Amino acid sequence: MKLFHKLGILLFYLMALPSHAEIPSDVDIADLKKAALQIDQQVAAFYRAKKFDVPKVADDATFMRRAFLVAVGRIPTAEEALDFLEIEDPLKRELLVSYLINSEGYHSHMSNWVFDLMRVTERGNGERTPRVPYRHWVREAMASNMPWDEFTKRLLSSQGDGWDKETGGVGYYTRDLGMPLDNLSNTMRIFLGERMECAQCHDDPFGDTERHDFYQLAAFTHGQGAVGQSFVAPLISEFNTKEKLFSPEYHAIKMLRVGVYELSLAGGGNGRIPLPSDYQYRDGKPGEMVAGKTPFGKMVRTSDRKDEGDGRVKLADWVVNKTEGQFSTVIANRMWKRVMGKGVIEPADEYVEAKDTNHPELVELLSSLMVSLKYDLRAFQQVLLLTKTFQFATNPQASVLEGGDDLHGRKIDRLSAEQIWDSLVTLADGNPDRKPRRSRDERIIVGGRPVLVGKKTMSQLSKEVLALQSEKDVRAYFDKLLEEIKMDDHYQASGATMSMTAKGVGDGSNPMVRASELSSPAPRDHLLYIFGASDREVVDAASKEPNVGQVLSLMNGFVQDNLVGKSSAHLYKCLEGVSSNEEKIRRLYLAILSRPPSSEEMALMMEELKARGDEGCRNMVSALIMSSEFIFLQ
Amino acid sequence: MFRKADELTRRHFMSGAARTYLGVHLLPMLGSTVASAGTEDAAAGKAKHVIYLYMSGGMSHVDTFDPKPKKKEIMGKTEAIPTNVDGLMVGHYLKKTAEVMDKVCVINSMNSTQGAHQQGTYVMQTSYTMRGTIQHPSVGSWILKLAGKIHPELPGYVAIDSPPDHTGGGFFGAKYAAAPIGSPGEGLKDSRLSRGVTEDNFGHRLSLADKLNRQFHGRYPNVDVKAYEDLYREAAALMKSKDLVAFDLKLEPESVRNLYGTGRFAQGCLLARRLVQHGVRFVEVQLGGWDTHFDNFTGVEGRCKEFDQAYAALLTDLEKTGMLKDTLVVVATEFGRSPTIDKIFNDGRGHHPAAFSCLLAGGSVKGGTSYGETDATGSRVKDGLVTVQDFNATIAYGLGLPFDKVEYSPSKRPFKIGDNGTPVKSIFS
Repeated sequence: MKLFHKLGILLFYLMALPSHAEIPSDVDIADLKKAALQIDQQVAAFYRAKKFDVPKVADDATFMRRAFLVAVGRIPTAEEALDFLEIEDPLKRELLVSYLINSEGYHSHMSNWVFDLMRVTERGNGERTPRVPYRHWVREAMASNMPWDEFTKRLLSSQGDGWDKETGGVGYYTRDLGMPLDNLSNTMRIFLGERMECAQCHDDPFGDTERHDFYQLAAFTHGQGAVGQSFVAPLISEFNTKEKLFSPEYHAIKMLRVGVYELSLAGGGNGRIPLPSDYQYRDGKPGEMVAGKTPFGKMVRTSDRKDEGDGRVKLADWVVNKTEGQFSTVIANRMWKRVMGKGVIEPADEYVEAKDTNHPELVELLSSLMVSLKYDLRAFQQVLLLTKTFQFATNPQASVLEGGDDLHGRKIDRLSAEQIWDSLVTLADGNPDRKPRRSRDERIIVGGRPVLVGKKTMSQLSKEVLALQSEKDVRAYFDKLLEEIKMDDHYQASGATMSMTAKGVGDGSNPMVRASELSSPAPRDHLLYIFGASDREVVDAASKEPNVGQVLSLMNGFVQDNLVGKSSAHLYKCLEGVSSNEEKIRRLYLAILSRPPSSEEMALMMEELKARGDEGCRNMVSALIMSSEFIFLQ
Repeated sequence: MFRKADELTRRHFMSGAARTYLGVHLLPMLGSTVASAGTEDAAAGKAKHVIYLYMSGGMSHVDTFDPKPKKKEIMGKTEAIPTNVDGLMVGHYLKKTAEVMDKVCVINSMNSTQGAHQQGTYVMQTSYTMRGTIQHPSVGSWILKLAGKIHPELPGYVAIDSPPDHTGGGFFGAKYAAAPIGSPGEGLKDSRLSRGVTEDNFGHRLSLADKLNRQFHGRYPNVDVKAYEDLYREAAALMKSKDLVAFDLKLEPESVRNLYGTGRFAQGCLLARRLVQHGVRFVEVQLGGWDTHFDNFTGVEGRCKEFDQAYAALLTDLEKTGMLKDTLVVVATEFGRSPTIDKIFNDGRGHHPAAFSCLLAGGSVKGGTSYGETDATGSRVKDGLVTVQDFNATIAYGLGLPFDKVEYSPSKRPFKIGDNGTPVKSIFS
């Protein structure tokens, strides 16, 4: 029976493998293992040079918890933990990695990472636009493991309809409506590890970037606007007035402006830009046209005489293909940081050439591996997860290399807010990856009320509206739409029901789901916020700093109500049919800390259970969740 | 009645628990951390608390506190209106604030070297520019470090609706980090014992967790691991504090709640006043959405709707309750917005660090005054330039704290609350 069960699990792991089909066909596991070995050889050479001992390999339990948290962003369930620890197969670590990297959890966890990096928010802030389709576009790109080079090109060069799956990458620009220069600074930082924020306004006194250079780069992306902007502008100014406030016309035109036009992007990048009115240097005058010119790598230029209209395509091509390995190095290092805890280059968004790092050969190797894997981030991370370097036991000492990682065993680090949340959800409700991803909210909401439900979706509406070719056509379409909306029962419903109907579906309010399926950023009253989740206004703004609110939330509230004190919580399922206290303690340790208790801990907990029975059991569960071991990654 | 009984039980249950199981005596451990040396300057401010209102995104100075009434091309849709102080004018979105300007000193000559949000906010809140290698403490952590806690159990620093990356303790550590409040109406989340958990069991949980944590910390001598171990003790003391009611807005009378209004920021301001009243040293409240690149005038109007009533109410309420003299009320932002209007962005305004406005009120600040001046277009500082470092040093000075006191990072580098900034002393009486 037991053997059969174990075989079943092994088969289950293996069954996950066929989805390797999504990895380019010329990549197979043998190649990935070979690449992992090459990395280990580099690390070993570094140990020899530094006269370091080779660290011990982490035990199965530590490896398992680490692999789960790194690859899928949550702890294993008690069942997963037990199965892995009991199975005796020399390849089980490799099989676990395949299982994890091919699961739904992998891209959920990747989505948290990319949402932080790209500042993906979906709620309008203050007077700004909601950005639901962009969030979904990025989420789906992670789910389909879109290669990073393609992802980058689509973000930087798309134009058209924000709701269309083909062109939804325009959200990268429309997210920053009215602030194209900040957007460009972020582009340089995210994809190339260049910090140019200073040069937006003045020559960088510490670097070598001048304001003129920045404008030459900005020339490529200049000239952004909504599709068909001029056709709708007269209607907007007509109805967006105090007199018309809260009339059906006002609500309807606002819906079109915010939900359709401001999510679309016209203009492929003029390729030239006027210098700003406060331009202060001798190499140009305010208002003078500057042509596009890339600051390093293989030079790409545009004209200052006419708008070429393909500046963004040129820029995207330069970023990805003409920056002499900078693009591949930056993403390879970001992936290394994700898997190993610290970047080989730190800070990860300040690029330095391989030769100026602590690990020149390793940096070169990672960069070329990224290219040969065709920017397949999943395959790349699988390689890293397969290395010995990833498996080394935790090193309690800080790095001995000044300002960098000595690669000498993983350093301890607090879990991210998302890892903590997803792990708590796993304890409360079991494996969260069995639930479907959040679907896109396609409802047309006018004045807080969903209208034309079952008749028309936002995607259809957006497609139709953006196809209109004149002000006259827009007016005719708008009049007809307005009639339909006014006829709609939902629209006529009283104000009391409106707020109720507008919430619910797809707004991320379902509590027991992965962080990646909640609304972005996390609401301020959420546990994610307390643990330092990024508000996604600036690049990578998450925090792991401790505060008193965090420990309060592990002691009381959600944790108590949904896990510790709730007998139907998933973690207690592993106790079914178990009567001995010793076995209960063992299983709860596996469920929460993914390891069996030490004999000392067993004695401590036996005493607690003996004295207080079920309450003692809950006290133990509470204490394990309050333990630092629960929130730190070893 | 119910509430009171509730409170007694809670106090009772905790008083024994922590001492019995953690073997600690809470009060001495959590008492004032530092006896403030104070500055020797007799004219220094005498405030004890700070309420720091941060306008995130970059508050347009010309549309709010530095209007240029004669320059239509700069003002756009904004009109300047008079206030209750002769010669001080504000944007027309600030009608209630206009009535309390007699308590406020406007600093019109702020200047920052950082024109992007992340860098701008960072320098405004820490006095230092961002480095990849160190996290500087925010001004709230600094004040807590220099002045110490007032109430032994309540947090010394509370941040309401603020992004977490700026409210940690930086290199001062978790002891100086803010307790975060996401939703003012909810108060300090999870600070009450859940139903069904007895005093006895709670004590056992703490004791078990403490044993596990010491063990783990023994294995990993890491400052953050240690911080969590300590935070449990702090949290346990906080849960039993009778002053936990400081976080409960529902205890405010209807009339006071109405004075502030119902918006999120308004609730934050009201909570800030309650916290200060109960002995919290530094409270930060954020109001986001000031990044009005696109359609500036609609944006500013919307933000001011949130700000105006709440700010005016806060000053009025603090004065009425006698706390204004002890509370420095700061309004800060990372930069201003360009006086030139961007037509292509639907009348937007860009970032403008060269000149912007911040406000100080309360304590011994001379109300109804302004400091510094911009040129006719609001583009440059013409007179009395105040750097962000000067501004933070001024906050310390307003509390009579040694703004030039050096604190060392773990790597032994010297830092000061306002770096090399000097306080603007003349604004204090």
